[in-house]
Amino acid sequence: MDTPIQFQINTGSAEPIYRQLMDQLRRRVAAGQWRAGQELPSVRELALLLAVHPMTISKAYSLLEIEGLLERRRGLPMVIAAWHAKPAAARDRIEQLMPTLKRAAAETRELGIPKTQAIELFASLLDAPDPGAPQ
Amino acid sequence: MNSTASSAGLVLSAAGATPATAPRVEIDGLTLAYGRQPVLQDLQWRLHAGQVVGLLGRNGAGKTTLLEAMLGLRDTSAGSVQLFGQPVARLDDATRARIGYVPQQSDLFEELRADELLTYFRSFYPRWNETKVQGLLQRWEVPLGMPIGRMSGGQQQRLSLIRALAHEPELLVLDEPVASLDPLARRDFLRELVEQVLDRGTTVVFSTHILSDLERVAFNVAFLREGRISLQSPLDELLDETRLLVGPEALLAQLTQVEVLSRHPGRRLVRRLDEDTLAPGLVAQRANLEDLFEALT
Repeated sequence: MDTPIQFQINTGSAEPIYRQLMDQLRRRVAAGQWRAGQELPSVRELALLLAVHPMTISKAYSLLEIEGLLERRRGLPMVIAAWHAKPAAARDRIEQLMPTLKRAAAETRELGIPKTQAIELFASLLDAPDPGAPQ
Repeated sequence: MNSTASSAGLVLSAAGATPATAPRVEIDGLTLAYGRQPVLQDLQWRLHAGQVVGLLGRNGAGKTTLLEAMLGLRDTSAGSVQLFGQPVARLDDATRARIGYVPQQSDLFEELRADELLTYFRSFYPRWNETKVQGLLQRWEVPLGMPIGRMSGGQQQRLSLIRALAHEPELLVLDEPVASLDPLARRDFLRELVEQVLDRGTTVVFSTHILSDLERVAFNVAFLREGRISLQSPLDELLDETRLLVGPEALLAQLTQVEVLSRHPGRRLVRRLDEDTLAPGLVAQRANLEDLFEALT
């Protein structure tokens, strides 16, 4: 059973929405949760669902197509590209996570939050239900 | 920063910035004062098909005045406004019917009931989406049976929004449209806007203080400051390209080869910073929309 393709966006972030969408897709594909051949929602569907400007969605899709993660098919929904059938190696996935963790570490230090408390918070976030996971 | 994303982003937005069709809104040299108090000064502005532009400015910056002048509702001392290629003072009826406007203060006939009001307006427009009207009336819980004057402020504003969406305008001007909507109705309303953009290439310009709404639907943001549109840009490019630089004023004063968008003691908002050449002692942080609002308005 494939994990359904669903996106979440955070407003108020320094990360533009198109990049939030790209990052989510990269991570889900790297983890093997979204698989080669899985169909993406159309620009129209996703724009209406998330209530964002359609250009934001098409920008994310086009850039992912340039990266080779998505495949455009004439008249059909876009799909996750074929060569992403298997999850990426754990090392590659960790590499993808590192920039986010480094940023979180820097902000934790800046805010003067004790290490143990920060780690506890991170653990509780990991334990929270994953909104994009299979039901 | 991801170089693939940013370079391709420029290509895409460059394509979006030079549309084939004439602008829907063309404002040149617009100048307006209240007595001796200048409000708009030699203001230039262009809005194109399919653009959703969030108009940002501090209280009293003149956002409402600008939106009203755009629609020909204000006397101006200089400049011109053209909508769909026609001078705003001499719009023909067909062009008027392509415009929708929701003022900050509801301007509905208070003696009428909602259904009477909508029937009245329906007669003016060649196009009218009754299915949409009925759906929104129900979803947004607008009471049909009482005089508008006895409805709450929020109910009046929701009715005003429905009236402006009913004829599916190609230019929609919204002055603080969502203040009275609860979060669910707001999302519903933003979806309506997105649908209009998808189906009709509607141009939407709106002012709001709710930045999260703006961030979702406004592909472009425009900052009104000192009587001018001081900056208009796709929001994602602004977020990608700007950095907040923090550090000792002496170091900040020496910044060269970077576009400085705003100056505050100990802080600069800069565009296209090369972080590798940053002087030790200065820290570059990413900015969110709230930071941009603070720095640019």
